[in-house]
Amino acid sequence: MNNHWMRRQRLLGYVFVGPSMIGVLLFFLIPAIYSFALMFTNYKFMNPKAGFVGFDNIARLLRDPLFYLSLKNTVIFLLAVPVSIALGFVVAVILNRRLYLKRLLRGLYFMPYITSGVAVAFVWMLLFHPKQGPINGFLRSVGIAHPPGWLSTTTSSMYAIDIIWVWFLLGYNMIIYLAALQEVSPELLEAAKIDGAKGWQTLRKIIWPLVSPTTFLLLVTGLIMTIKTFGIIQAITQGGPGNSTTILSLYVYQNAFRYYDMGYAATISWALFAIILVITLLQWLGQKKWVHY
Amino acid sequence: MRKKGWFAGMAALALVAGTLAGCSGKGNNGGEAGGSGGAKSPSASASANASGKAGEPVKLKMWGGVPPEAGPQAVVDAWNKDHPDVQVEYVRYVNDDEGNLKLDTAMMTGQDVDLFVNYSMSQTAKRKESGFTLDLSAFTDYDVDAKMGPDAAGWKIDGKYYGIPTTKSSFFVALNKDKLDAANLPVPKDWTWDELREYAKKLKAGDGYGFIQHTEPFVDPIDSVLSQDGYTKADGTSNLDDPLVRKWLETLNGMMKEDKTTPPLGEQLTSKMPVEQIFLSGEAPMLNIGAWLLRSSNNFTDYPRDFKIAFAPVPRLAGSADKYVTRGGIGDYISINAKSKHTDAAWSFLKWYADGGMAPLAAGGRLPASKDADQEAALKSLLGDKADTYDRDSLMYVMFDNKTPTYVRSVPQEVMDLRSQEYEKYFLGSQTMDQTISAMVSRHNEFLKTAK
Repeated sequence: MNNHWMRRQRLLGYVFVGPSMIGVLLFFLIPAIYSFALMFTNYKFMNPKAGFVGFDNIARLLRDPLFYLSLKNTVIFLLAVPVSIALGFVVAVILNRRLYLKRLLRGLYFMPYITSGVAVAFVWMLLFHPKQGPINGFLRSVGIAHPPGWLSTTTSSMYAIDIIWVWFLLGYNMIIYLAALQEVSPELLEAAKIDGAKGWQTLRKIIWPLVSPTTFLLLVTGLIMTIKTFGIIQAITQGGPGNSTTILSLYVYQNAFRYYDMGYAATISWALFAIILVITLLQWLGQKKWVHY
Repeated sequence: MRKKGWFAGMAALALVAGTLAGCSGKGNNGGEAGGSGGAKSPSASASANASGKAGEPVKLKMWGGVPPEAGPQAVVDAWNKDHPDVQVEYVRYVNDDEGNLKLDTAMMTGQDVDLFVNYSMSQTAKRKESGFTLDLSAFTDYDVDAKMGPDAAGWKIDGKYYGIPTTKSSFFVALNKDKLDAANLPVPKDWTWDELREYAKKLKAGDGYGFIQHTEPFVDPIDSVLSQDGYTKADGTSNLDDPLVRKWLETLNGMMKEDKTTPPLGEQLTSKMPVEQIFLSGEAPMLNIGAWLLRSSNNFTDYPRDFKIAFAPVPRLAGSADKYVTRGGIGDYISINAKSKHTDAAWSFLKWYADGGMAPLAAGGRLPASKDADQEAALKSLLGDKADTYDRDSLMYVMFDNKTPTYVRSVPQEVMDLRSQEYEKYFLGSQTMDQTISAMVSRHNEFLKTAK
């Protein structure tokens, strides 16, 4: 009797998870397996002639200088994440004080995160214009005769993109930190004050460790989000000039949807997957040293 | 918290792989359908045509890259008025990567695409390979070669037409005639890049530029050379180290850096320089562009202009003119979808379109290529009420009388990209000429190897 009831309950459970399982199967598992299989083919979109080529794509990837270049660009791009987390923390601490206009400022900092990426791209292109842009106009007015070319040179373009990306991520990081700061118990801060801790010491020894789980969350999600971003770069530079802003995700996109080279694109995207996996696992192992729950 | 972070990580990983795979997954299903569908289609379409019910109009969809208001809508409306039994609807796709992908996906998944316009040979070749383009040699009542002239042959694939090239596409250097006159320079009918460089120096005023280029025909001088000398050498390796490629790089680099007569490429690209506007406002006296300039130069509301425009052919790199070919000939290659249910109706529409139905497009710079089309009327529509703001002699020369042979750009996208990535680095000063040439050659060779 009881046994029968249990079985019915279990069945009912499957019915409830069924729809989402079907979703996962259709939209994630099957395509994932399929793209894995694509790695070993020379399938070109639209072209019915496709065959298995074994490890050719992987061999090609390993000797493709553009792959290494975009890997390097991706690493530079990822620098934006820790920078934006640090800045986000600073801004959140400042805005968490009793501050004039702090609601308005919070809103302003969060604006980039909810604005349309393409519109933002065009605004930044104007700001970064090497001759007429306001940024270089300002730099010249304070006496820098040869300000950087920003997006217009191969050496500075990736860093210019980094600046845009920090600006974009900052608001989100700040909001999450603001929430975390609310959780810091006032008793601890008060006790520290009584013990004679200065503002900086409180920040360094009490607040920072207490929000470390948040920092960890932001780091993991930020890195993953950044590594798979390509829209903003596609809108601003299309990977140029030269290929100085081609990051891996953009390289996947170009191979898949510009050259229709699905086999090779799948190979790069699995390489990208492996990189994300390694980064996440490393962070996962590393967190024991600095994250306090 | 610990659990949540891990889960978020994994979920995001799943999403990356999922989206990427999702897109390609969709492609494949369509691919299979495309393969079998393409093979079956001739008989299927024939029977569908025969059994077309009387009284119910056939509906055709034509996909093109020109905005409907720039002519196509007027073309379609004119046809629909006279042909109640065949109604054509114009669908616009943007002629860029995403737009072409949209068109290709629509065809693969069997959505209604009956006619479509190809803008490059490499796109057409891909579509032919997938069996989307109907082999027009089955229709015997229209002689493409005779109607469109010798330039049409550039669009043949394995000796057959898979579409009709419909427009005369002319590429030229537009000149500010007033500035030229003031500097006592004649309008050239045949010139080299060295001569253009001199012109640019003489015409440069103050901080302004003497010569600007639209990015689309930017690379044409190289293709003009390589379409003759071959993109590969006799041994099958890359020919991108042709001495004239070097010459082109040197000339432009000199113009950008020494003469400062043309914008540095980095600045042009990142600011998405509006070259038409700069030329039409009189800021720069020479512009390398094509017939689509007319779309803007006829528009005095957005581009007020107080000078006369003259036209010169695109200069050549080589010293002698005997081997020179210029880009152009004819374009807007319209194919019929081999899977269309109404290929016969599409064919009648296409013939009508090519032989003059397309006249309203002339206002946007697209002149009909067919010898049966009324050129005088098209020219009138091309120039509108602005005819006296153009130098008619030189216009007639670059569009009709210039007998220089032409080529159609047919370089694979990968090669276009690898070239532009390397020459951008050169023009931006981050690599030397020799590095640029050797990088182009080695990447091209690598491409040739994998493309086999």
